[in-house]
Amino acid sequence: MIDVKHVTKRFGEGQTAVTALGDISLAIPEGSFFTLLGPSGCGKTTLLRLIAGFELPTEGEIALDGDSIGHLAPNNRPVNTVFQSYALFPHMSVARNVGFGLEMLKRPKAEIEATIHEMLELVQLGEFASRRVDQLSGGQQQRVALARALAPRPKVLLLDEPLSALDLKLRKGMQSELKRLQNETGITFVFVTHDQGEALAMSDQIAVMSAGAVRQVGTPEEIYTAPQSRFVADFIGDTNIVNATLLGFDGDKAKIRFGEGTPLTVQTASTSLTPGAVHVALRPETIDVVDEGSDRALLRGAVVDSTYFGAGSQMLVRLDDGVDVHVQVATSRAIGARVGLECDTSMLHVLED
Amino acid sequence: MSSATHIPPTDAATSLHAAQAARARQVRRTRLFLLAPALGIIGIFGLFPLSIALVYSLLEPGTYGGVEWVFSFDAYVQFLFERDIFDDTLAFNSAYLQIFGRSFGLAITTMIGTLMLGFPVAYFIAARPPEQRNFWLFAITLPFWTNLLIRTYSMLLIVRDEGFVNLMLMKIGIISEPLEMLYTDGAVLAGLIYSYLPFMILPIYASLEKFDFSLLEAGHDLYASRTQVFRHIIVPITRPGIIAGCVLVLIPALGAYITPELLGGGKKLMIGNLIALQFGSGRNWPFGAAAALILMAVVLIALLVSLRAGAPKEGGHG
Ligand SMILES: Nc1ncnc2c1ncn2[C@@H]1O[C@H](COP(=O)(O)OP(=O)(O)OP(=O)(O)O)[C@@H](O)[C@H]1O
Ligand SMILES: [Mg+2]
Repeated sequence: MIDVKHVTKRFGEGQTAVTALGDISLAIPEGSFFTLLGPSGCGKTTLLRLIAGFELPTEGEIALDGDSIGHLAPNNRPVNTVFQSYALFPHMSVARNVGFGLEMLKRPKAEIEATIHEMLELVQLGEFASRRVDQLSGGQQQRVALARALAPRPKVLLLDEPLSALDLKLRKGMQSELKRLQNETGITFVFVTHDQGEALAMSDQIAVMSAGAVRQVGTPEEIYTAPQSRFVADFIGDTNIVNATLLGFDGDKAKIRFGEGTPLTVQTASTSLTPGAVHVALRPETIDVVDEGSDRALLRGAVVDSTYFGAGSQMLVRLDDGVDVHVQVATSRAIGARVGLECDTSMLHVLED
Repeated sequence: MSSATHIPPTDAATSLHAAQAARARQVRRTRLFLLAPALGIIGIFGLFPLSIALVYSLLEPGTYGGVEWVFSFDAYVQFLFERDIFDDTLAFNSAYLQIFGRSFGLAITTMIGTLMLGFPVAYFIAARPPEQRNFWLFAITLPFWTNLLIRTYSMLLIVRDEGFVNLMLMKIGIISEPLEMLYTDGAVLAGLIYSYLPFMILPIYASLEKFDFSLLEAGHDLYASRTQVFRHIIVPITRPGIIAGCVLVLIPALGAYITPELLGGGKKLMIGNLIALQFGSGRNWPFGAAAALILMAVVLIALLVSLRAGAPKEGGHG
């Protein structure tokens, strides 16, 4: 269990200071696959470096299994990192790279040899043991980096966008391989990515970050189906965000209406929003296209674009207030046609800004 | 269709082949052409004088310098033995060996000294942001802009009895009598280290410049202490630069002339001075040539041995 308690990290002093992390708190459960997801520059790497000990927090503290690790140098933390750039030792063979951690821990030679063998089998690089690392492909190097970080059996493994350099096929393969490794070893994985598909596919829990803050923490399903804020909804998948008027609350539900339409009772991220204009998340796959005149239509607009993708079509509908909405349909309508959009109101979700 | 694989080479194919061969010939010729000037200079100014030295070392000295064209092995014998003037017997004489010994001692100490001082400096420069590095490199090479003779003279002024160091120490009251620093091995060593420091810093910097500093974090991440990171990561990766620096310092330091002449006052002879002496007032050209060749042979052997020892081992485990 990693406890990040009110951690702030600032680089530089005075006028030029950059706040990379602003008072963030996170609880990362033991043995989980935990993903930090966010756009470039939001502070993901900084958070990993704080956990690894390469940087010290400006304020706040980080605890591992209840004990603060602030006073421990990186080489005394039971934490290993798979670096974004791999950072393999170019003057050592694959095997020595993998054994380096155990060698530094002064483990018996036989144990080191056995672990190297086991780790290389695990990442399917058994026959490459005596190669120099610069004679490996990018994907192979990445697996060596993984084996090297796993070999000392750390309590926590930090992975900084380890798949970003791989092509799609290798990437898919490595995704399931990583997931399998995490299951088999039971080590806590803290995985950084800015690819929401990857995050949804692999994680037990996701923390969505932006601009040095954690916006939402939850299971992939919670993050996908119940985004709290506009930022999260926007960042995860291709959610539509439409305008509505908040009329009030009914218990933990919100009463809203689209334009001058009938009031609807829907889910909400917060019951402390002020009535008035709000944004509502609307998943493309939950929308049905109906005739404009239909009384089931909640929203109305005109088709402006349509893309065929085999299993169906993706249509772009411009609503009367100018907002564009993506819709997935089996049969598309002509461009320019007026349509009505209907959806399951239980899938609507009022967002915080 | 299996017949398709048995098509005889067409005319087009053979002429293509010929064109390729012609191109390869031309590439070889161009390469030779570009190498020729350097090879010419090395031949004329390197190998040719070396051959002359070899020939001279096997002749007898002329009375007023120069050589007598009589074959003799005396120059090499003289290096180790003294010939009795009366009965012509040979007695072992270690005087020249001692000069060689001191020269090697001083040169190796210089090498170690410049390595200890130069490595941190090179590391410091390589760790600066790229836009600041040129400034520091400029600062390191600045002394080259002034003649070595002048720089050595100024050192002489600093360390002599009435020099800056002694005056300062006496003013503060640490000493009452001037320390005798000039014309000691210490003064020569200080001068050599000062003169050759840049030759150590620059090659080490060159190998550190390409050094990926994230490897240090990777090392610490994998439980290596600072010392272990230095031993297992920094030193092996920068080894080519360290070896180059050591060679670039050791060899010229062995043959140093100006520094021991001025700061050692001719009392503390090094090989360079010994050789110069033979061609000057010593009037024994064959012995000078022999001493030079012996030095070269020793250096070559030492170099080959150390290069073999220092070559990176093939990356197997254990
Ligand atoms: N050493 C540093 N000095 C100054 N500012 C820094 C430093 N390291 C990071 N920052 C700043 O802190 C912020 C967060 O950086 P960080 O590297 O954590 O982002 P990231 O989320 O990992 O981005 P990416 O996805 O592009 O890797 C950025 O604005 C960055 O410019
Ligand atoms: Mg990053």
